[in-house]
Amino acid sequence: MTSFTINGRTVTTDLDDDTPLLWVIRDHIGLTGTKFGCGIGMCGACTVHVGGRATRSCITPLAAVEGAAVTTIEGLDPASNHPLQQAWRALQVPQCGYCQSGQIMQAAAMLQDFPAPSDAEIDAVMTGSLCRCMTYVRIRAAIKQAAAEMGAKP
Amino acid sequence: MSRLASHAGTASPFSRRSFLVASGAAGVAFGFSRVLAAIDPSVPGSVPAAATGPLFEPTIWFGIDAAGIVTVNIIRAEMGQHVGTALARILADELEADWDKVRIVHVDSDPKWGLMVTGGSWSVWQTFPVFSQAGAAGRIALIEAGAKLMGANPANCTAKGGAVHAGGRSMSYGDIAKSGSVARQFTPDELKALPIKPVKDRRLIGRETHGLDIDAKTNGTAIYGIDAKLPGMVYARPKLPPTRNGSKVVSVDDAAAKKVKGYLRYLVLDDPSDTVPGWVMVIASSYYAALKATDLLEVTWTTGPGADMTEASLQDHARALVAKADGGIQLDIADDDSTPNFGAAAASTIEQIYTTATVLHFQLEPLNALAFEKDGVFEIHTGNQWQSLILPTLAKALAVPETKVVLRSYLLGGGFGRRLNGDYTIPAALATKALGRPVKMILTREDDARFDSVRSPSVQRLRMQFDGSGQIQTMEHHACAGWPTQVIAGPTLLAKTKKGGQYDPFAIAGADHWYDVGHQKVRAVANDLANATFRPGWLRSVGPGWTNWALESFMDEAAHHTKTDPVAFRLKLLSGEGRNAGSAPNAVGGALRQAEMVRQAATKAGWGRPLPADTGLGMATSFGQERDMPTWVACVAQVHVDRASGIVRVEKLTLTVDAGTIVDPDGALAQVQGGALWGLSMALHEGTEFAAGQVKDTNLNTYTPLRIADVPELDISFADSAEVPVGLGEPATTVVGPAIGNAIYAATGARLRHIPITPAAVLAALRAR
Amino acid sequence: MYGIVFAVLKRVLIGIVGCVAVALVALCIFAWRPAIAEITPPAPASFAPALIAQGEVLASAGYCASCHTAKGGKPFAGGYAMATPFGTIYSTNITPDVATGIGTWSEPAFRRAMHEGVARDGAHLFPAFPYDHFTKLTDGDVAALYAYVMTRPPVRQEASANTVPFPLNIRLLQAGWKTLFFTPGRFRPEPAQSAAWNRGAYLAEGLSHCAACHTPRGKLGAELKDRAYAGAPIDGWIAPPLGKTNPSPAAWTQAELVAYLGTGVSRYHGTAAGPMSAVARGLSQLPAADIAAIATYFASSNGSAGAGARDTAAIAHALAADRIGTGLSYDPAARLYASACASCHYNGRQLNPLRPDLALNSAVNLDDPTNLIRVILYGVSARDGAPGIVMPGFAHGFTNADVARIAAYLRSTRTAKPAWTDLESKVATIRAQGQGQ
Ligand code: FES
Ligand code: FES
Repeated sequence: MTSFTINGRTVTTDLDDDTPLLWVIRDHIGLTGTKFGCGIGMCGACTVHVGGRATRSCITPLAAVEGAAVTTIEGLDPASNHPLQQAWRALQVPQCGYCQSGQIMQAAAMLQDFPAPSDAEIDAVMTGSLCRCMTYVRIRAAIKQAAAEMGAKP
Repeated sequence: MSRLASHAGTASPFSRRSFLVASGAAGVAFGFSRVLAAIDPSVPGSVPAAATGPLFEPTIWFGIDAAGIVTVNIIRAEMGQHVGTALARILADELEADWDKVRIVHVDSDPKWGLMVTGGSWSVWQTFPVFSQAGAAGRIALIEAGAKLMGANPANCTAKGGAVHAGGRSMSYGDIAKSGSVARQFTPDELKALPIKPVKDRRLIGRETHGLDIDAKTNGTAIYGIDAKLPGMVYARPKLPPTRNGSKVVSVDDAAAKKVKGYLRYLVLDDPSDTVPGWVMVIASSYYAALKATDLLEVTWTTGPGADMTEASLQDHARALVAKADGGIQLDIADDDSTPNFGAAAASTIEQIYTTATVLHFQLEPLNALAFEKDGVFEIHTGNQWQSLILPTLAKALAVPETKVVLRSYLLGGGFGRRLNGDYTIPAALATKALGRPVKMILTREDDARFDSVRSPSVQRLRMQFDGSGQIQTMEHHACAGWPTQVIAGPTLLAKTKKGGQYDPFAIAGADHWYDVGHQKVRAVANDLANATFRPGWLRSVGPGWTNWALESFMDEAAHHTKTDPVAFRLKLLSGEGRNAGSAPNAVGGALRQAEMVRQAATKAGWGRPLPADTGLGMATSFGQERDMPTWVACVAQVHVDRASGIVRVEKLTLTVDAGTIVDPDGALAQVQGGALWGLSMALHEGTEFAAGQVKDTNLNTYTPLRIADVPELDISFADSAEVPVGLGEPATTVVGPAIGNAIYAATGARLRHIPITPAAVLAALRAR
Repeated sequence: MYGIVFAVLKRVLIGIVGCVAVALVALCIFAWRPAIAEITPPAPASFAPALIAQGEVLASAGYCASCHTAKGGKPFAGGYAMATPFGTIYSTNITPDVATGIGTWSEPAFRRAMHEGVARDGAHLFPAFPYDHFTKLTDGDVAALYAYVMTRPPVRQEASANTVPFPLNIRLLQAGWKTLFFTPGRFRPEPAQSAAWNRGAYLAEGLSHCAACHTPRGKLGAELKDRAYAGAPIDGWIAPPLGKTNPSPAAWTQAELVAYLGTGVSRYHGTAAGPMSAVARGLSQLPAADIAAIATYFASSNGSAGAGARDTAAIAHALAADRIGTGLSYDPAARLYASACASCHYNGRQLNPLRPDLALNSAVNLDDPTNLIRVILYGVSARDGAPGIVMPGFAHGFTNADVARIAAYLRSTRTAKPAWTDLESKVATIRAQGQGQ
């Protein structure tokens, strides 16, 4: 039995300990905003927050999140209005959109560490998130816009 | 008799209830359905809203309900181009609709929609006239009906903002639809005759807009093929055979797989369409169980052709083919098909070989399909770019008439041409037929790479002959690669020469350029070894991805050969004369429009200004994919070469694009950004090799496409044009590689003739100088 | 001729057999310990609540549960497998179950086990049970531990059979081992040292038995006293040196030790992983003064005094190294690192304790790459390391060559130490060992 919280709700499961968190979230809990891209921790499409930190769910075994707090794109903001989501919409970042849940979750974790990230910091932290549609220019701009927006708040 | 050899497995998939969710967890469910008849990507969950009250449908392309909601039917796949938005804008503009009331619906594969394909950057170009007319038809019918309802003369009525106005009065489209009094239908001929608004009256086309699919793609509610699910479905993962073609299963041992909790059974697919020969499907009650069991399943096969194929043998074969004078198909370009006599009358000649590596699509969403049978009809739920192509194959595989197969389209987590080839729908369909229950097949990334219809490796030989004054007398371009259209779509879609020769137009497009080069010969050669070893794919821009690499590198070499500035050299050849004068409706202006893009890109990039050491500018240009639908583009790359390490740093890409009318400016910019960076990625970062009949790199640990840190400064601009809108998704892809190669030459004098360009290759080229 | 030789040989043989027999008898007499009478388990109410509470804290800081609980098993019911060079030893059931646990053990029997390594029935215990450290515990602390374990819910669970081969499985031989390596006796404070230092020494040397992991052992499995805390392999990991030879460029100051031991996280040294995770969890239950005392004890001898300037330089260097490879890069190893690791491990401007800095971390600085390889392959769960945070493992998608490439890359870009050799085969070995418990 493994218990953890997802977007604030407690879930308990007896799925195998080695089941990747990604498939638990997608197939068993039914939240499909978290995507499968590479399955080896190299594309970032499956990024969720565990304990507030961006984590690749495809290589995180279920047992590893025992007792942890998991947040997915669906739970990032109750009204899907995180400053990053607002900036993503304003700048029309997504193309196919498939990588964007992961991009946003990764960026949200980054802004906690780097509230006003430089280009070098964006490069370092976001390079793990592949966008095959190559929306990188807009991702960079949207992160900066959201950071400015968040900084503008008291 | 079952078509499938099979073996009973272990547990029943539905005996378990392994997931408990704490009370109050509303919305968390086990076994809920997410199969959609059609999708509206602008609403969370993608389920189109039901119409309110009576619906006014003057053509099959849209309807207006009593609430005034205009629902536009989209037959193109949404894979990141916001295509529904762009197409709906065309219709809504002509309809004078209120944009806030426009909805889009991506429809199923009903034959009434005609040819369903999304590729070649054709969508806007093909749809523009159809949707303009449909919108005009609606506007005219609504004005007529509105005038009648208000007791006004139609001639005194106008339509604007989703309402018909007569003097001071007005009536909304919704109210007109609600009245149920408009029943006007238009025949195709009537539609064609309808007048289209003058450009100056456009209200939506060319204005900034918000993509209707954007919001759902930022909050996890957008539904892709991989998200489709149905209660009672089982999961499948294929065990892939050693060769793409011709493998046969000899034996299967699932003793180890049986130990996996949730493993059900395996299926050896017997595929009458021969799309997936030698496939074994592993069926399990969860995807993770299918993953594990597939790894443990032991299968032996006999192999098909290409089992020992390497990249080098494919390329050596291609080299031999382009070196020969005969073979292949000569395109109808020259006024006569005599072989120019190289050497004799010429003052000088140049000749070079250019090559490109195998490239994976690596669309981020691995291939998948959900298949099930309902009331005798097989439904395939997936993301697909060419429904019309795969439907007959599905029918053949399932041994049912085409009317008994429906494809339902979901959002695509990237297409780039991979999903033009619907081969991945076949195994899911065969499995559901064998099992009698819904099957959800998902490929792992490694499976996806091995099963990819890769961009074929290519070899091209280019020759040019000059007279004593440096004028080009003749030019030859021989291109050899796998031919996707021949292998995947079959002979009916091949192009024909006057002499009856058949060739894959997509594999040679780009070589038939708009430069005046005197006597011109273009020869397309199929690499039969490639065609047998794998299924060559259409990959973003297809042939121009390699032809333009060769052409534009060679043009640069020719310019330097004649000691001419590469920009001036191109401008002189883009004279717009003779066969390059252009023609209505699509290619008005011809090569002169291409010249203008070259000029603008050079100016914007500061062509000719002094640069730091080992830094250079390189120019490349293209007309896009097809001569009869040209998108004129030019690119200047600014690069710095580190002579010690061979590392090329692209500092800036300047692109100018003339795509005629731009329907959705921000979307157009996004397409060019994406296309240019794809070009950069293929020029410097990605590429794989065949080894033992398979691609060597199957995941991101060794396949290294462009990432955010690799992105240079981009300066992209569009020509302000009212010409026919043409494609945008691909043209930028093909200019970046040669622009970089030419810039490396400008910076260092080292000439690169293979992409991807690796630091090792740069060092070798520097040494070879 | 042959006859004479044979006769001599026979006499010698008889002599040898006789000597062995005498020695065995002597050993038996020497080694023999009486059984202590069984008792009816005392009623939980017979223990003072304060004593039980004290015992709970001590049990936590002695990690009783981590060794006496099998994965997914009931607490204290035993069955945890310990791989030793001498075979696999399973921990025993120490719940107060009468049939399978220690329900019939009186407090003197329990105390004898703790202080002398002898079970209630007189059998000698394997030194996998660290009685060589627990012997230092005061009677009062042993009484508290007894109160605590005897008030746990009894669990009926038979012990798993050990796989220690003959003749090492002869319990009697353990007595011989004790004569060679075991010095019984309570902790004796160093009068020259502070009270805090002595408290720390008492806990570290006794209850928390730090040396059991961090001190190398000889061929017969005893700690090598002359190499105390020099670092040692344990359960597939490397317990790093705790003295001056610790390889991290940043010092383990008293403050960092307090943070690490109390929370599992140090700003400079990263998070506890592997067997150390349970240690940090266990110690975190101690009163703050006790954690500080342990830190004082170790900081007094590890050369961390006055490390300020050295640390400042080391941290600046680490932050600079952090940027290597995160920009545009064609080096395949750098790309692998940037794509797989940097999104979490990048610090950039200042150290964040939740993003272990790989230039400072002992895993990258140790002579042995085992810890780094293990963490890359199997990650760190939310329960281990920084609480609630996960490092995922890359075992599934990365080849041995990929893991080796990252390890070699980090070693060369983050340290000035000699390159690790034979990395790929080391990765293969560790992969074959599996993740462990
Ligand atoms: S799917 Fe998890 S990182 Fe790619
Ligand atoms: S938007 Fe398509 S992969 Fe990023």
